[in-house]
Amino acid sequence: MFKKVNFKVPAYLLLLMNILGFLFMYFNNGSDRRILYVGGGLMGLMVVIYALIIILHMGEKFLILIANMLVTIGVLELCRIDITKFGMTQIVWIALGGAAFFAAYVVYYNIRFWNKLWYLYLGGGCILFLLTLVFGNTVGGARNWLSIGGFTFQPSEITKILYIMFLACYFSGSWHHDLFGRINPKYVTALGTYLFIGFLVLQRDWGTVLVLFILYVMMLYAYEDKPWFMLFNIAMTAVVGLLGYKFMYHIQVRVHSWLNPWADISNTGYQIAQSLFAIASGGYFGAGLGNGSVKYIPEVHSDFIFSAVCEEMGVFGGTAIILLYLLLIYRCFKITYNAKNPYNKAVGLGLTLILAIQMFIIIGGVTKFIPLTGITLPFVSYGGTSIVVSFAMLGIMQAISKQEERAEETEAEIESEGDAL
Amino acid sequence: MNINKRIIHLLIVVCVMFLSLITYLLYFNMFKSEELATNPYNMRQWENELDIKRGNIYDRNGTLLAESVMDEQSGVHLRRYPYRNLYSHIIGYTSSVYGKTQLEKKYDRQLLAKDGISLSFEPIKKGYDLRLTLDHNLQSYAHDQLSGKNGAIVALDPNTGEMLACVSYPDFDPTSEVLESEWNNIVETESSPLLARATQGLYPPGSTYKIVTAAAAYENDLENEEFNDTGKFEEKGITVENYGKQAHGKIDLPRAFAVSSNFAFCTLGYEMGPDVMLEISERFGINKPLTDFDIETSTSSIDGRSLNNADAALIAMGQGKLLTTPLQMAMITSAVANDGVMMKPYIVSKVTSSSGVAVETHSPQILYRPIEAGCANYVQGLMEEVVESGSGTSAQISGIKVAGKTGTSENEKEKDHAWFVGYAPADNPQIAVAVILENDGSSGGTAAAPIARNVIKKYLSD
Repeated sequence: MFKKVNFKVPAYLLLLMNILGFLFMYFNNGSDRRILYVGGGLMGLMVVIYALIIILHMGEKFLILIANMLVTIGVLELCRIDITKFGMTQIVWIALGGAAFFAAYVVYYNIRFWNKLWYLYLGGGCILFLLTLVFGNTVGGARNWLSIGGFTFQPSEITKILYIMFLACYFSGSWHHDLFGRINPKYVTALGTYLFIGFLVLQRDWGTVLVLFILYVMMLYAYEDKPWFMLFNIAMTAVVGLLGYKFMYHIQVRVHSWLNPWADISNTGYQIAQSLFAIASGGYFGAGLGNGSVKYIPEVHSDFIFSAVCEEMGVFGGTAIILLYLLLIYRCFKITYNAKNPYNKAVGLGLTLILAIQMFIIIGGVTKFIPLTGITLPFVSYGGTSIVVSFAMLGIMQAISKQEERAEETEAEIESEGDAL
Repeated sequence: MNINKRIIHLLIVVCVMFLSLITYLLYFNMFKSEELATNPYNMRQWENELDIKRGNIYDRNGTLLAESVMDEQSGVHLRRYPYRNLYSHIIGYTSSVYGKTQLEKKYDRQLLAKDGISLSFEPIKKGYDLRLTLDHNLQSYAHDQLSGKNGAIVALDPNTGEMLACVSYPDFDPTSEVLESEWNNIVETESSPLLARATQGLYPPGSTYKIVTAAAAYENDLENEEFNDTGKFEEKGITVENYGKQAHGKIDLPRAFAVSSNFAFCTLGYEMGPDVMLEISERFGINKPLTDFDIETSTSSIDGRSLNNADAALIAMGQGKLLTTPLQMAMITSAVANDGVMMKPYIVSKVTSSSGVAVETHSPQILYRPIEAGCANYVQGLMEEVVESGSGTSAQISGIKVAGKTGTSENEKEKDHAWFVGYAPADNPQIAVAVILENDGSSGGTAAAPIARNVIKKYLSD
């Protein structure tokens, strides 16, 4: 039914947004030519990616458009923050992201035994974690960066995909043999989950801890017949969380600076207070791109980019970002809903939920809706790993949509042949 | 089990999460953002001020009360208050360390002309100027009248609600350099100079509140009641004595008002009960925050939970669970003077651009109609009698008829507060005044009434 929609219109809208945005930036910033190069490069990439999807009949057409809209907003804001440091490099990451998108699509689409490889995902994840723990660098309190040959990345981003594939093995029902003839895979999955979470706690990457836990609970809700196991997990976590709050200074600080950031505004409450000041001074329509004082916001290019967008494009600009995510996630839900292959369905649901949870946790965090835990805003924040992994996730989603579309077509063909006879 | 059904549930959960974020964001912007935009830790507000010359503030006759001057050395605008301490509780201060208060805070946008479209080609943008209703001559005269005593004076025009003078003492120097170097000293001073007593100080109003009780008595047809004043009111565990333990004998209501008999008014309050007292008090604005006023105010209040008749008796003489600001008492007096119509008080009459074009004008507004004109006329008669032959004779001015009410309010630990509220000329009220001397120890009639008289006289003679 969606084939009848004229898909060209949203694509043109995206281009229009790019042209207007970058031309405006260009004239507003004393005709800095680099802005035009960034804008041109971004539009070129978008046109190529979209054209490939159309020409190669890669299924779902809207996912990439919505993601690119988010990317555009991000790049505009990053150019405004610091064009050499973030604006121009982000284009390189987006190019790599585009490559990752197609790579993930091709690899996922052509291999049909993903559902049998649970030990690979678990092992791979653990190895990445161990490497980070041993060789990792500490950035912003979290020891979650790995540097290989001068190229740094965040392994925890990659483990997100591995974790989803791992969960999907059990939830899709393709892994039903007891481990060592005794342990139900259900418990192996739970153990694996807490192993990952444990590693993340060691790295003090609280944001990702929260993301993985909520994802696990939501998957349990979708797939477990009876709610007991899910409730048991929630209860256990609540107990551990309370103990953590009681004994771990880190968690206390976060909760206190959430409840009352003004009490210690020059220290623990500083980040969230600066973020709120930015949002408050933007008003409904914002100060205008380039007119805000985003330099006061800490980590403005990554975790706090939403605050900068709110300051310069207003609360309505921020709302637009949330609605774009809602659209993106709705499309993902739709693909998941229509998927027939159980493994595809489980992976699709995992990817959909992880995007939604990440976005909720970081936007809720920087607006003081929930306690702040630093993670990136997918597609908008600056960052190599974040952009590449987000695009790779989208690539897998794209592959699922194509697989299911093809399965449907084959089915329809068989049916129509039957009719003809 | 149907997984798709569960997926729909999750979709709903996600939608709720996202929509709650949007709702929160809009709520935040609607209700929280203004407070944050003026938070002293928000560096943004100081950024604007480098290239905007903050507007001037003038009194009603054009006397300059606040201006910004460029400091050639540092290249920044410095805020100057020619009368230093005199307007510290009205204009407030603007400091990059301690933020902004009072008019400097409330009118920040206008003083920086943030909403205006600049048509000027000058490099330095000019903010809007404020024209106040205050009369500088009266303000400085009133300040001198307090002569270093802790307390407050509020003078209103009862016909319009314009604030003519508003003095609180102790005060402080709002110049930012002085404020920043003296801050700890100011904050740690026990008499709290930062407190704007006239608008934010809460005191028991004492006998001045008998104005409200008398109005309630008139409405409940008790104006002909007679009392046998023994000097001591005893009922249900409370004992109240008249001021100076005097027994006034057999008296009627007007006489009881004139000599300020606690016995008579406690009896009235006890008879009418808590519901009547609470209801009429709320009509006069007690328990109602004064919204949109130009500076911050405390809400005068009666803690209305489980009041009994004994509480009502205490409220009737302005003690017990009742606390009011001097501003509130001036408003109540104005309402009586203005035949039962309470005008909304205001301080800023006009906002003008630097070229003199009015951007905003504020005109008189009716706030409440607490009592009927007949009732107001009755209370006016009682108040005239107080100055004519009662406890407030020291407020008399030759050739001008003054109406008023004295008060000496008790508080638990320290000496009594001396109060006087009044207005003049009685036939055509031009000014209503409330005076309080904190912990003065002497009575309202001897300490506060002469100050009120002088302020009234000064205003009417100018």
